[in-house]
Amino acid sequence: MYLAWNLILAAEESTDSTEATESGGIDLLLPAPEELIAGIIAFAIIFLVVWKYALPAFKETLQARQDAIKGELAAAEQSKEEAASLLDDYRAQIAAAKEEANQIVADAREAGDAVKADIVARAESEAEAIKARANEEVVAERARVADELKRQVADLSIDVAERVVGSSMNAGQQRDLVDRYIDELGGVQ
Amino acid sequence: MTVGTASSSQVDGYAAALLDIARTEPDSVATVDEMYRAASGLAGNAELVDVLGDPRVPAERKQGIIADLLGSRASNVTVAAVSFLVAAGQSTHLADIAGRLAELAADAEGEVVAEVRSATELSDEQVARLTSALEKKTGKKIQVKVVVDQSVIGGVVAKVGDTVLDGSVQHRFTELREQWG
Repeated sequence: MYLAWNLILAAEESTDSTEATESGGIDLLLPAPEELIAGIIAFAIIFLVVWKYALPAFKETLQARQDAIKGELAAAEQSKEEAASLLDDYRAQIAAAKEEANQIVADAREAGDAVKADIVARAESEAEAIKARANEEVVAERARVADELKRQVADLSIDVAERVVGSSMNAGQQRDLVDRYIDELGGVQ
Repeated sequence: MTVGTASSSQVDGYAAALLDIARTEPDSVATVDEMYRAASGLAGNAELVDVLGDPRVPAERKQGIIADLLGSRASNVTVAAVSFLVAAGQSTHLADIAGRLAELAADAEGEVVAEVRSATELSDEQVARLTSALEKKTGKKIQVKVVVDQSVIGGVVAKVGDTVLDGSVQHRFTELREQWG
């Protein structure tokens, strides 16, 4: 349109120039009317051809290009979303891994504490058992020593009694003992 | 020579030999009784038995010990018989041989031997009463052989076969020792 308008202005100026030429030399600058009309017709034909054939092809190309770009943008957006999703997944996995690691550490610490407590409890139990056994052994040893002492005292007492009785028994007592034995053997009361 | 060990047949053999020797004496019963008392008396002293059985002690020394212990209280045949047993290495089996000798002599008379241990000698009256009491108790004809054993302390221990009738003071002390022990 701008071009057509320029052509019209040029034609008017040409007319004016013609008139000026006619009138004063401007006509030398303006095209002849028939040239102008032919130019306008040629322009119109070219314009129509361009409008009818070139412009749709151009629009179609532009639309295809636009669709392609839109598609690429959509694909890029999808890729971006997928990447973001993947990133979220990775982050979630990392977070889960961290949480799992923390849980493992916590479990290990808890297990370690449990083992430590168990070892301490077992050591204390064994210490108590050893102490109890030692006490029992002390008590048993004390009783054994007391029994042994009692037995030795009894043996010594009986040994002394045997010597005393053996040395103090006179013939009459010996005879009485034998007689009593014989009486008991024979059933005499 | 067998030292320290003797089988039952050896004990029987030595006992039979001693009985045969005793029967050559005018009073064979008294001789058997004397042999029994002498052998049992020696056997009752463990230290003496050890000395008599020690191969390092010369035979002459052993004969001297036997002569010193029995010489004044036993006949020559009894001293000779005991010396023979010691020389034959049977000092540790004197008690067995003496017991078997008494059994063989009693068997010949249809009697059973009762070994009676007492701290003192028993009177004839006590031996007679004891014999009667043991016969009543066992239902057998008893021949009492008395052995003086100071370890009895007092009272009497009578052994008839495998039966022991212990009425000694030593037995009372043993029971007391077991109760206190």
